[in-house]
Amino acid sequence: MTTTTKRPRGARTKLRRRVAGLLALGFGLLSAGLLFTAFAPTAQTAQAQQQDALVRQGEQIYLNTCQSCHGRSLEGVESRGPSLVGVGDAAVYFQTSSGRMPMARQEAQAIRKPAKLSPEEINALMAYIDANGGAGPKKPSESGEALRGDNPARGGELFRLNCASCHNFTGRGGALSSGKFAPALDGVTEDQIYTAMLSGPQNMPKFGERQLTPEEKKDIIAYVKSVTDGNNNSGGNALGGFGPVSEGLIAFIVGIAALIGVTLWIGAKA
Amino acid sequence: MSGDKPTELPSEAELAEMSRDDLVKLGTRMDGVELVHYEEKWPVKGTRAERRAQRQVAIWFLISALSGLAFLGVFLFWPWEYESPSNAEGHLLHNLYNPLIGLFLGLSVLGLGVGALLYTKKFLPDELAVQQRHDGPSTAVDRATLVAELSDAGQRSGIGRRSLIKRTAGLGAGVLGLGVAVVPLGALVKNPHSDSETKNSLWHTGWKAEKGEKVYLRRHTGNFHEVSLVRPEDVEPGGFETVFPFRESERNDEHALVAALKRADAPVMLIRMRPNQAITKRAGQEDFNYGDLYAYSKICTHLGCPTSLFEQQTGLLLCPCHQSQFDVFEYAKPRFGPATRPLPQLPITVDEEGYLVARSDFIEAVGPAFWERKS
Repeated sequence: MTTTTKRPRGARTKLRRRVAGLLALGFGLLSAGLLFTAFAPTAQTAQAQQQDALVRQGEQIYLNTCQSCHGRSLEGVESRGPSLVGVGDAAVYFQTSSGRMPMARQEAQAIRKPAKLSPEEINALMAYIDANGGAGPKKPSESGEALRGDNPARGGELFRLNCASCHNFTGRGGALSSGKFAPALDGVTEDQIYTAMLSGPQNMPKFGERQLTPEEKKDIIAYVKSVTDGNNNSGGNALGGFGPVSEGLIAFIVGIAALIGVTLWIGAKA
Repeated sequence: MSGDKPTELPSEAELAEMSRDDLVKLGTRMDGVELVHYEEKWPVKGTRAERRAQRQVAIWFLISALSGLAFLGVFLFWPWEYESPSNAEGHLLHNLYNPLIGLFLGLSVLGLGVGALLYTKKFLPDELAVQQRHDGPSTAVDRATLVAELSDAGQRSGIGRRSLIKRTAGLGAGVLGLGVAVVPLGALVKNPHSDSETKNSLWHTGWKAEKGEKVYLRRHTGNFHEVSLVRPEDVEPGGFETVFPFRESERNDEHALVAALKRADAPVMLIRMRPNQAITKRAGQEDFNYGDLYAYSKICTHLGCPTSLFEQQTGLLLCPCHQSQFDVFEYAKPRFGPATRPLPQLPITVDEEGYLVARSDFIEAVGPAFWERKS
């Protein structure tokens, strides 16, 4: 057996080596081609073109809705609107998606109203401000529920330390000086809370990513979501959610009035 | 009882003969009470209407008993623990807990009340009674004899003549009174400010360096045992952060780490001004800031509330308690409200590793005024 198999073995190995070589070459070429198509510059150019189109669209929106107050090239207009250089797309997203911008009129502070720009227009405007205003805080790539952290208890601790002084400890909002106020946080989306912390809209201080890490911000959002929109309402009318003052007042007035009424009724029936 | 209408009292034999009705009549007559009108609600017993009235009253007592039981059941067995809104059913059950115990407890009390009221309306006889009023003070004889009895008792006790007893009794009561008075007054006699040099005195805060140890600025991350030190680049322009003192010797001391975050005089607001913001510094404190970073005590100089409502564009710090406003563009000087002194500024710098540190304690006492404070 050993002698008979020895001779053809040499020929076979030769053939095998050739086939293997061809296969390796073919495989190498094929994978190189695949790699090329995967990382080919075609995708890049397409994206850049899309980006350009988005920026051009954003420019149109900017010129139509923003430039009267923020200037032709984001430089701002004295006593009308601040410069938008370096504000970042987080600020653009927050201000436009919450309807604060475009502003209806100059007053103590811009107020929340239905958004005037569509989400697509906001996207385009964000791209335009980002491309022309230089680097600034960027809106996170995650959105919606993904921005809710898994530790609302820690979020509550951080909220009470950093946010509650103005927004009230369950996000009911509160008064500031000269007609300004910290708004209530009901109905505010996760993206808006995150971009507000990042960009510090109007008189709110900025909370950068090094001061409050993204995880900490998400925990804060989880906390806000767990106490706003009626989620912190243990039965009945929340009476503004301001705690014992309004509750005590209403309980006293309504309760005493009811007692007097019942007493009078009993007296009248007797 | 009343002297106006003397009633003839029955003899002992007559009293033993009297029925309950007679006794009641005698009692009311003695009290000067006269029945003017008396009428039974149900002169004929056992009618259908009477039974219906009985049922009406009983139903309210039953309602009361059932809601009392329901209250007990809800109070003991309802899933009252907080459920996150993401679990809709659990959240609803949790939210129902308070209204339910309130409803059932209220209904139980109300049922008892309505039942009792209905019973008096439906079953107690209609009755109108008149009682003569007792006019004026006691008679002159009553008053004179009472005074004489009291002074006689005092004289018979002989205490007026026995001065030894009188003095020793006075001594005993006086010493006891002194002992009782010393307890609350002692705290006022002690000098609470004799300690003026350690960080626990009113004059100093947790930022005071002791034994030459460096005091870092530490942030609160929501975890009381975590040490997160602050670098100048952490705070954005127009941002602010509340910081607390930290020493390396506290690093593994859990108690000290928690205590540092809870000390009333420790919170400091680290504020980063926006570039090119014009700042007026306080005379003698020109080098207390580090670049755009300014550190002010968070404790209001009026009554010690946290003044952390920061308006980054106007540079105002508002105090929520009495609406004081401090201007951080002008050394946190009070702009409005009852506060009269600026917020104390903490001198800060950066150490060789790039962490923010306190150069020293505040140079004045933080928070509201106290007796010994002269400015």
